[in-house]
Amino acid sequence: MAVLEKDEMLGIAEKTVRLAVKKGAAEAEVYVYEGQASNIAIELGQVSKSNQIIDRGIGVRVIVNKAVGFAYTNIVKDEQAVENVIERALSAAKASKPDSDWKGFPQKKPYRGALEKAFDSKVADLGADELVHLASRMLDSAVQVDKKVFPAEGGIGAAYISNAVANSNGVLGFDKGTIIECSLATLAKDGNKVTPICFEFNVARTFDINPEWVGAEAAKLSVSALKTKPIETKTTKLILTQFALQDLLGNTLIGALKADSVQRGQSPFKGRIGEKVASENLTIHDDGLYQGGMRTWQFDGEGVPHQKTTLIEKGVLRNFLYDNYTAKKEGKESTGNASRAGYLSTPGIETTNFCIMPGTKTADDMLKEVDDGLLVYYLQGAHSSNPVSGEFSVVATPAWKIRKGEVVHASRGVMLAGNIFEVLKNVNVIGCNGRQMGSLVSPWVEVENVRVIGK
Amino acid sequence: MQDVLLKISESAIQKSGANYAEARAQKLYKTMLTLKEGRVEAAKQGIENGVAIRVLVNGAWGFASVGSFDSDILLEAVSNACRMAKVASQRLKTPIKLAPAKAVTDHVEAKPNKNPSNVSMEDKIKDVSEINRSVLGFDKRVKSCTVDYLDLTGYSLYLNSEGTSIQQDKLYVWSRITASAQSQGVFTYSREEVGSTHGYEVFDTQTPQDIGKTVAKRAIEQLKAKPPKGGLFPVLLGPNVVGVFVHEAFGHLAEADLALSGGVLSNNFGKKIGSNLVTFYDDGTVPGALGSFKYDDEGVPSQKTLLIKDGVVTGLMHNRETAQKFNAQPTGNARAEDFRVEPIIRMRNTYMAPRDQSFEELLKGVKSGYYFKSFRGGQANLDGTFQVGIQEGYEINQGEIGEPVRNASISGNTLETLRKVDGVGKDFAIDSGRCGKGQIAFIGDGGPHIRLNEVTVGGSA
Repeated sequence: MAVLEKDEMLGIAEKTVRLAVKKGAAEAEVYVYEGQASNIAIELGQVSKSNQIIDRGIGVRVIVNKAVGFAYTNIVKDEQAVENVIERALSAAKASKPDSDWKGFPQKKPYRGALEKAFDSKVADLGADELVHLASRMLDSAVQVDKKVFPAEGGIGAAYISNAVANSNGVLGFDKGTIIECSLATLAKDGNKVTPICFEFNVARTFDINPEWVGAEAAKLSVSALKTKPIETKTTKLILTQFALQDLLGNTLIGALKADSVQRGQSPFKGRIGEKVASENLTIHDDGLYQGGMRTWQFDGEGVPHQKTTLIEKGVLRNFLYDNYTAKKEGKESTGNASRAGYLSTPGIETTNFCIMPGTKTADDMLKEVDDGLLVYYLQGAHSSNPVSGEFSVVATPAWKIRKGEVVHASRGVMLAGNIFEVLKNVNVIGCNGRQMGSLVSPWVEVENVRVIGK
Repeated sequence: MQDVLLKISESAIQKSGANYAEARAQKLYKTMLTLKEGRVEAAKQGIENGVAIRVLVNGAWGFASVGSFDSDILLEAVSNACRMAKVASQRLKTPIKLAPAKAVTDHVEAKPNKNPSNVSMEDKIKDVSEINRSVLGFDKRVKSCTVDYLDLTGYSLYLNSEGTSIQQDKLYVWSRITASAQSQGVFTYSREEVGSTHGYEVFDTQTPQDIGKTVAKRAIEQLKAKPPKGGLFPVLLGPNVVGVFVHEAFGHLAEADLALSGGVLSNNFGKKIGSNLVTFYDDGTVPGALGSFKYDDEGVPSQKTLLIKDGVVTGLMHNRETAQKFNAQPTGNARAEDFRVEPIIRMRNTYMAPRDQSFEELLKGVKSGYYFKSFRGGQANLDGTFQVGIQEGYEINQGEIGEPVRNASISGNTLETLRKVDGVGKDFAIDSGRCGKGQIAFIGDGGPHIRLNEVTVGGSA
């Protein structure tokens, strides 16, 4: 199905805003979303599945008497359906309660125009044949590493995403982008021994992925997880890879940096701007314009321009993440962090690209300098962390033991327990091997003094 | 709509070379509320229309999802799906086949006492506000409370090329409540989910006041809790923790797709892997439970599936594809979150069967260990490593419940841990939850109180 063009999407957004105001909304905001994705999936060691999804819809947020109402539909080309969705949003607002902190939708601000490395027509136009070819290359590369490797699942997908936003203050924006991703989850089997799933992937906004690397790397990790030995319970040094960081920070630190959590007394960072909260090695920006970033767009879910916001600078807390509502509550400007799940949801605060600034050491240097510690890839149970206190108790599946600068063996069932806000103070070394993982852009990070429960 | 679906299926078989075709049209209505400290952050209403099409061509799957009921658009989508499946089949070594399923024609109507679509938005806001008030009014150290509410109604119309045609109503009512408390630099957090496939009457048995009190009380009690000691301990698990343990540590391994992917159960069918006290079911027929339904998204009737009997692995959860590979019967576990995604093997209501011991008997057997009453998250890996986070736990000293502990978790390997079940209670409860496996599914899980003679407890002390 042909995609909705820029003018068509902007037209729907503007027209719906006008109609909502005419029907009685004090203010109105309309978000139009379209996503088209093709995917070739690998299951049980073979390419056996194709998948195509076309999803588009419209979300309407209206204000009546300072109360918010929202409605959505995925029927966008039918005037009656659009009129119905406005009426549902109005009826929701009327049933709701006024919010004295409501101070209006965002005002119009200039956008940067189309961003570099955000859209690639080659990705948008990839056909099934080419996707099957790329998936097969990844699969072949994995099984060539070792006969013990079994590629359990994976695939390759290409997506086109566009969105338009308009509000009754004159905000009007359109943006489009592409994403391509390939991934492979493998395990290794030797007799009765089975490793945990080991996973690698490549993701990019432009046609820049290396399926052979992904296949080989996932395979090598699972083979190296075959040789396991128990480790002792002790307090030790960890090198956290991006997989572990994404899981752990996403369930603890990131929540504490959201203005909504701060204002509601759910963040230990409340009232601590300007204070040292982490090791001076640590500098973190939220950068919605990071070139080629997974969350790089011209504007956020409320049409506020994306920007770069310094959150932690050399260990000192500098700022929080704001959407329009939480910013206005403090008389501030939104940092452009209102995020939406397509047309289905109202905006909520999320990071854009959460960038941990790299240091100078390579991965090899970092390993070489560890006398005794663990290299941690995948975590299990990070979502069971206490998001308010930062306390976590998770399992590394597996962790690799580092002794005298060498990775010597894997270990299963290793539990790591502690508090993320203490861990941040113990960041010792930051590598220079940055990579993107979801919203995270980070190198490896070495931390000290983490409690490890072995067997 | 039925005639459009029939046209899609016929076009796939007759024009595009498919061996099998199915179409699933859905019309879904959702009402969602989020309240934070009594403030209605958003009152939302949504309508979604769409069709999921799935075809088998030369033994490879083609799937397409389109947010439209327009027959021209759908016919284009089915021809694309067939073409893509043909391309995907190029390097196939083992073509996909389906186990036989009886053709069914049925119309399944939901019969709620209180249909959520007949409850006004005002009344829903009133009830959800009441939960909020009950949480925040419990103690002034409760600092925040978020209540999410969702009801989903509508229907699913399923048709396949083998003559099955089923119209089935959808009805879910669900709410999640979280609260945080703070005192003297200690932050605690508590959560609870309620849900039903019966109707809005769920709030008559689990009243907003009671739900609020449970959540708030836990957050307050955790304020005086201490971090647990890490290491190997005997533990007593409450039905809420047993449920998530059965779901995470065993259930996922008993999903036939994961067993085929190399999960540890693949080598253990028919073998004894647990103590005699271990019997697990996955049951889609529990009236009103959040994981119950009549037909799955391949048109196969839901059922009560025995997974382990007295410690011996007896069954797996199947869709038609895995049932064929295992030479078994499909069990009705193929579920799709909505028309945007294909059906995959999902749990329904997964639980451990009760036995005959009282809570006191189970407790008496623990000299120095923990009682874990309520969970916060859990996860499993194909190698059998599981982790379950604990949001409410207590020390046990000499058979008596002692001080509360916070932010504990338990972990181990499923195959080792099931042998360590040395006591099973006679009580029983099923809780409502959601499970993520790429898609979100509403599920139930539960069981009685049980005792493990040892498990690794993760703690920072």
